Order: sequence, then C-alpha cells, then structure tokens
Amino acid sequence: MQRVLYRVRRFFSKPYNVILVAMCVVLAYLTLLPMLSMIRDTVTVHVAETMRLKKPVGSFTWEHWRKVLFDASSLSIFYRPLWNSLVTSLGSCLFALAFGGFFAWLVTRTNMRWKRSLSALFIFPYIMPSWTIALAWYNVFKNTVVGGVPGFFTAVTGLETPNWFAYGAFPIALVTGIHYSPFAYIMIGGILRNMDANLEEAAMMLHASQGRIMRKITIPMVLPAILSTFLLVFSSAMSSFAVPQFLGLPVRYQVLTTQLFRTLNGLNPGQGYCIAMVMILLGVAILAFNQRLTGVRKNYTTITGKSSNISLINLRGLRTPLSVIVLVAVVAVSVLPLVSFAFESILLVPGDYSLHNLTLQFWIGTAEQNSIANSEPGLLRNSSLWFALWNSIRLSVVCSLSAGILGFLAGYAIVRGRGTRLATVVDNLAFFPYLMPSMAFGAIYLSMFSTRNGIIPSLYGTFFLLVLIGTVKYMPFASRSGINAMMQLSTQIEEAGEIIGIGWFKRMRRLVIPIQKASFLSGFLLPFISCMRELSLFVLLVTPNNRVLTTLLFYYNEKGWSQYSNGINLLIVLIVLLINWAVNKATGASIDKGIGG
Amino acid sequence: MKRSLMIVAALVAGSMMFANGAKESASPAPQPVEEKQMTHEELVAAAQKEGTLTIYTHSSRTAKAASGFEAKYGIKVSVSQLKDTEMIDKVSKEAIADVDGADLVFCQDGSRIYPELFSTGYVINYIPDEFKDQIPAQYSSPLVWEMMTKLFIYNNEKAGNPLTNVWQLTEPEFKGRLQFKDPFSEAVNMNFFAMVTRDDWADKLAKAYKDYYGKDIVLTTKNAGYEWIKGLYKNGAVLGKSDTTLAENVGAKGQDAQLIALITSNKLRTAAAKNLALAIAEGCEPFIGFQYPAYMFLTKNAKSPNAAKLYAEYAMTAEGWKVFDTLGDYSPVASIAKNSEDGKSIADWENVVVTEDSQWCAEARADVEEFISGLY
Repeated sequence: MQRVLYRVRRFFSKPYNVILVAMCVVLAYLTLLPMLSMIRDTVTVHVAETMRLKKPVGSFTWEHWRKVLFDASSLSIFYRPLWNSLVTSLGSCLFALAFGGFFAWLVTRTNMRWKRSLSALFIFPYIMPSWTIALAWYNVFKNTVVGGVPGFFTAVTGLETPNWFAYGAFPIALVTGIHYSPFAYIMIGGILRNMDANLEEAAMMLHASQGRIMRKITIPMVLPAILSTFLLVFSSAMSSFAVPQFLGLPVRYQVLTTQLFRTLNGLNPGQGYCIAMVMILLGVAILAFNQRLTGVRKNYTTITGKSSNISLINLRGLRTPLSVIVLVAVVAVSVLPLVSFAFESILLVPGDYSLHNLTLQFWIGTAEQNSIANSEPGLLRNSSLWFALWNSIRLSVVCSLSAGILGFLAGYAIVRGRGTRLATVVDNLAFFPYLMPSMAFGAIYLSMFSTRNGIIPSLYGTFFLLVLIGTVKYMPFASRSGINAMMQLSTQIEEAGEIIGIGWFKRMRRLVIPIQKASFLSGFLLPFISCMRELSLFVLLVTPNNRVLTTLLFYYNEKGWSQYSNGINLLIVLIVLLINWAVNKATGASIDKGIGG
Repeated sequence: MKRSLMIVAALVAGSMMFANGAKESASPAPQPVEEKQMTHEELVAAAQKEGTLTIYTHSSRTAKAASGFEAKYGIKVSVSQLKDTEMIDKVSKEAIADVDGADLVFCQDGSRIYPELFSTGYVINYIPDEFKDQIPAQYSSPLVWEMMTKLFIYNNEKAGNPLTNVWQLTEPEFKGRLQFKDPFSEAVNMNFFAMVTRDDWADKLAKAYKDYYGKDIVLTTKNAGYEWIKGLYKNGAVLGKSDTTLAENVGAKGQDAQLIALITSNKLRTAAAKNLALAIAEGCEPFIGFQYPAYMFLTKNAKSPNAAKLYAEYAMTAEGWKVFDTLGDYSPVASIAKNSEDGKSIADWENVVVTEDSQWCAEARADVEEFISGLY
C-alpha cells in the first residue's frame, strides 16, 4: 500500500505526468466520445432514413455499410471518390512539400535575394480560404463548358483551356497544393532554422560535397518534420471540401468529402458517417505509419544550447535568376489572387473588365443603391459584416490562445514523458481531431452538446461551444509544433535548471518558453489563421448571436454575389496580415518565421 | 507595475471576448403555444411582452420584411438565414433540447421538412384565423407560405426559343448545353426530379416522348421520369453552385453556343442591369420548369410564441408580402395571389410546371437520390 502511494506520489511529482493525465481525461471526452458516437451513427437508422429503410429511428442496421462497401452502387458512392481523393491528396501533398520545402531551403540555407519580402508573401495562400484560390483559378481558366463570359486566360490569349486543366483532378491537386505550400514552408523552415548547424559545418570542414551534406545530414535531420508535414498536409487535403466541390462540379468529379457532404446533406446521413469513418481510419493508418518511421529513426536533438551559426550556400551566378524565378512564382500564387479579389469586388457586372464597369457601390453603397444585389448594403456600411468580423476575431483569438497553450503543454509533456504508454495515448488523442473531417466533427458536436449531458449543460448556441470545437480541432497544430520543437530541445537544459532547484513554472518561463518562443508563437498563429478562415467546422454550430465572417462569405458566394464575397475575402486576408504584422512588431515572431526565428 | 497593468488589460480583453457567451441561461421558462385565438390587440400586447423574436429563414429577403415588422410593432426581430440541412438540424436539435432558438421558421425542401420537422411535431402548423378561408385546401397543411418557380431559361441574344419538348435536352444537339444547380446541394432540384418520377408526370413524359419521336419509349429504368433524368445526365448536363452564377453563365452575351439553365425565374429581374440575354422557354412540353413551396411554421420550443404568431399574421398581409411580391414568388393567400410583376398566380403556373408535392417527394426521394448518385 505504502509502495503504491509512494509510486503514485512520485508519478505526480513530475509536472509532465500531471499534464498528461489531465489531458488524457479531457481529450478522451472531447475526441473519443465523438468518435464513438460516430461509430454508432454508422449502424443506426436516422430520421431521414426511416422512409427508405422502413425501420424506426434509432434501430440497428448494417444497411449503411452494405450500401457503401458491397452494393452495385458502391463504385459511384464510395470507391471512385476514394480513388479520386487519394490521387488529389497525394498530388497536392507532393506539390506542397516540393514547393514549400524548396522555398524553405532557399530561405534558410542560401543567399537568395529578397528573403524577407518573399517569405512574408509566401504565406498568403495559406491565409486565404483555399476555395477562394479555387475561385481565382476558375475565373482565370474556365472554358466554354460552363459558358458565361470567357475566363481571363481565354479572353487574353484567345486559347481555349482543355477540360482536364480547367476542372477536375489537376486543378484540385494544384490549388490545394498551393494552399498548403506555406504550411510545409513553415514546418520545414522552422526545423531548418532551429537545427544545430554544427553537424553541417563539421561535414563542410571534412570537405563533404553540398549534395552529400544535403543527403546525409540535412534531409535525415529534417525527415521527421517532413513526415509530420506530409501527414498533416495529406490529411488536410483529404478533408478539404470546398476546392473539389468547386473545381470538380462542372465535370462531376467526386471525392470523399463531396460525397460526404452529399450524403450528410441528403437522405443518407448513415452512409455519410460510414464515409467519414473510412476517412478517419485512413488518417489513423497514415499516423501509425508516420509514428513507426519517426520511432525507428529516433529523434535528433538539435537545440543543445550551443552555437548555431549557419553559413549560407552561395548560389553564385544562379542567385539573381533563381531569385527572380521564385519572385515570379510567389507573386503569381500570393499577390495575383489578392489583386483579383480586389478587382472583382469593384466590378458592376462580373467578367466585364472595362473601365466604365468599375464601381465602389459594393463597398460603400447604401441598400437603395444596390438593388442589383437584392438591396444588400455595401460592405463598409453593412452591420452584419462588422458584427461577423468582431465575432471572427474574438473567436480566433480565444481559440488560438487556448489551443496554443494546451498544445504547447501537450507537446512538452509528451516529449518529456516519451516512451511511456500515457504519453503515446495523449499524443494520439491530441492529434486525433485533425483526422476528423470538419463537417462530421461539427455535426457530432452539435448532437453531443445540444442537450444536457451529465454535468455539462447544453452548450448549443453559446460562444463557448465554438471556442471548444475550435480549440480541440486546432490543438494538433500547436501540439505538433510543440512536439517538433521540444524534440530538438535537449533535456540537459531543463535538467540544469532542475539541479539548481528552480521550480517548474520558473523553468518553463525562464528556460523552455524563451528558447522555444518562436515555435510557441507559431503554435498560436497557425490556429489563429486556420480559425479565421474556417467554415465547415462552425457552420452547424453558429447561431445568430455568433455568426462569423466566413459564414457570411460563403453565404454571399452561394448567392452568387461575387463582389461581396471577393470583398470579404480581401478583408480576411488583410486582417490576418495586420495581426501577423502586429505580433511581429510586438514580439519579433511571425507566421512565416514559423518554428524558428 | 507595467506587468500588472498588462495582466489587467489582458483580463479585460478576455472578458470582453466572452461577453455574450453566457446569454443563453437567461431564457424565460417555456410557454405552451396557446390554443385559443386571441384578438389582434391581445396578440400584439402579449407579443410585445416577450423578448426578441427569432426567425430562421431560407430567404435573404426575410430580414427586410422583418425590419418593417420591427418598425410597426416595436418588437425586435433576429433573422438568420440557413441552408436546408442546417435548418433541419438546428430546428430539430433545438426542439429536442427545448432551448431558446427559433420561434418562427420559413423553410423549403418539403421532402425532408415533412417527415423530419412536421410529422415529428418539432414545428407547428399555424394559420391565423382571418386567413383560414383564403388558403386553398391543398396548400394549408402544412401551410405553404409561398411558391417559387424555377424555369428553363435560355440565351435569347442570337436565337429564339430552342425548346418545344423536354426530350430535346437528351439529344446530341443539346449536349452540354443544359445547366442546373447540383441537386445534392439544392434539395428543391432533387425534389423536382423526384416529382417527374411520379406516375402522372412519368406518363406525361412518356406521352411527350411519343409526340416528339413518333414512337413509344423503350424503358431501361422504372419509368419515363427516370429515363428522362438519365438522358439529361448522360447528355453532359453541367452542374453549378448558384442560380445567380448559372444565369450569368447562360445569359452572357457574345457566346457561340446557346445555353439553357433550369434556374429560379427571379434572375430575369436583374438580367437587363447585368447585361444578360435571358428568356423563358415558354411552350415547352410537357412542362417549362417547376414550382416549389416554402413553408411557415411556429416551433415547438418557441420562447416568443405570440410574437411568432403576430409575425405569421404580418407575413400573410400585403404589407408583409411586399418585398416578396416580385417575379418568381407567389403567395397562396387569395387577396395577394396575383403577382404584381408578371400578373401570374400559383394556379396559373400549375398548368405549365411541375408542382412539388412534399409527401410524394418524402416517399420517392431516397430512390431518386440513389439513382442520380449512380449517374455521376
């Protein structure tokens, strides 16, 4: 008995164990329970299905699974969309890793020109909701299949874009890839910056060639980060809905999420939950694969408290041409969409680019002047816009603070408790929400929290519920960046503090957080921007009192009032940039510096 | 000092952020929807004692109508526009949890409203006394608050109406020329397809087939309705996201191909201002489009039931109808049935379009959804 008590006390004397146990309980409730309720949903009859299945609501059925997996219609309901999802996700993933990773290498390891500006510009596509890039693609490259005014490209060159280029797999993969490239850049760039350069320098002194250093040292060291990035991007790409919905629809190209949307919104929610389950299982499989790989490779302690001056590779003759090429590419994916948003928001008639067609009425017009758009007042006069803007900002700030702090603590505790079963469980639980398709996650939270549940009152309609789901959903960003950063931080530093008797809080405040400041902040900034542009996660949980900017944006877009949606889009990007700039001025960290700085 | 100031500032900012998070707990105790009809004055008095009236609606115009109501009765109205599935999810969840959600809902997609909200009792059919004899029987339970039309609309810049028979749309000549909103995101479009598979419409389609080809239709599916849907999809129908965009796609001037869209006819109103060439395919057999209802219900969990009733009354008067009295929207209320822009009424449309019947759609839609799903 004494022994047990002693062991318990000893166990809890380690702060990371306290964190791990607390996280384990809370996360199990917030992620496992939804998962279980989802499993139940795959085998029960829902209200919408009673007519077809001729069974009472809530009764047990295998019908959904049979329909999805073993029916004549399974090919079109499930297998073809699955294949399409895999193809487009892999495509976008590879593009993002190559583009973002190469850019990260250029910025951190070479003497490329205009690094600061390029680095700041490079993150723009990640700030924009991904489907707005799809919108830009569509506007530029659409062809006569959809009709209307010709796309910008066709209008200028007179060439008709082929179907595969304008719609379907290729643009979906590319647009999603562009959207996630900054993410890859942030993750990989952060690791490259934080990496101890001694190893590379040692190799250099031994006259190893650049290529060899790259192959034998740099890449193996960033490999865990690359794999993490791959995992995150692949899962994100897989669960992205709006881009395939937008670019796939004209040629009826279906992926799992569009199929999920159709079933959840139609009369077969059970099938939708089955599809969501499959998506989660796929995610779990990738996760397990990732863990095996990183587990085998062990971690590389790269912050040792020793010097880390990296000598940059001289690009020599390539410096200017390469810089220009990168500049052009970055401007094309970052600035052009913004210009197009601004431009589209002042066109009286969409698609007519002549001077007399320009107007500011969608920004400053009164309701009476805007009869062309169902008398919606101009954006700057629109009270619903200001209301939604305030909601979006406070939601994003609160979510990012809580996700950032919790994620950082989780990262710290997981790395310190590494190897224990508890740490592995928390690691997986904290990451799990990432694998849940947003739409299904929102639907499940709606049913979980709309009624009183034990000691937890009905949260539906409260701001807190939005904060809760946002925090849980975005914690993986923070915990991943926390883990990545902490893995590189040698325990020696903290142990040194421990030996001279510094308490845990002070150790965190004075040692760990300052060293990891930049990655800590990126743990805030990633949830913040994700939250600012999130739509499908919140759409079911938002009530009139807490409407957010993206729901307004989507609404205008659905209505086809492109001037308003483009205007809001521009506003979202500008606000995030402003906040990034403010954080940068105040603390020196910024999104583009990511985990480093 | 500086640090403590910062902490105070952070706390203040934090509490502001959460400021209206906990509003919900202050909701009044649920009041049963009263059975006996009050006089108008009593209703107004009772309504004014209640808090904010919350309306969920499918239409962007409700907010404008609501501001008229606010001005008239001094009752604050909060209007949220919801998409069909969100509407059903929210209203049913709110009814189950009995929370302070919507008091009055305007909604479309009869095939799901009927079994999921109406039959379950989450929403309550309510017709103010003075309107009871003004509503045709077939539109009174559930009460159809308005009918909207979606029609075949073509580009008339270079040529006249190309359509005389809907079977033309399955012909090579019309390949890739028809556009409509994806029925999986636009439920009323799905309901339309469900309607054409009902025996009477399938028969009319079979007859139209014979008129057009001079021979009987050979079925590979259940009936001529399914056959026609299959024909449309196999003939490269282009799916869109919004009727506004489709109107722009089809109506833009200077196009070689003459496109056709099946879209809401109120897009014709702004055609001139947007420089679009659009016209209705009049005379196409056996239908030129469809009309679908929007319903008005009180909710079971209404916390401002009297204000909701008062609004229901207001919505059926000429005053409350005014912002909806435009091309493409038609009221079943006899006194305002005739649309002031095109002079037509629901009864006029019944002869030339398919009219959505929520009960049939509720029965048939799952089959039709599955059928169409196989055509993607």
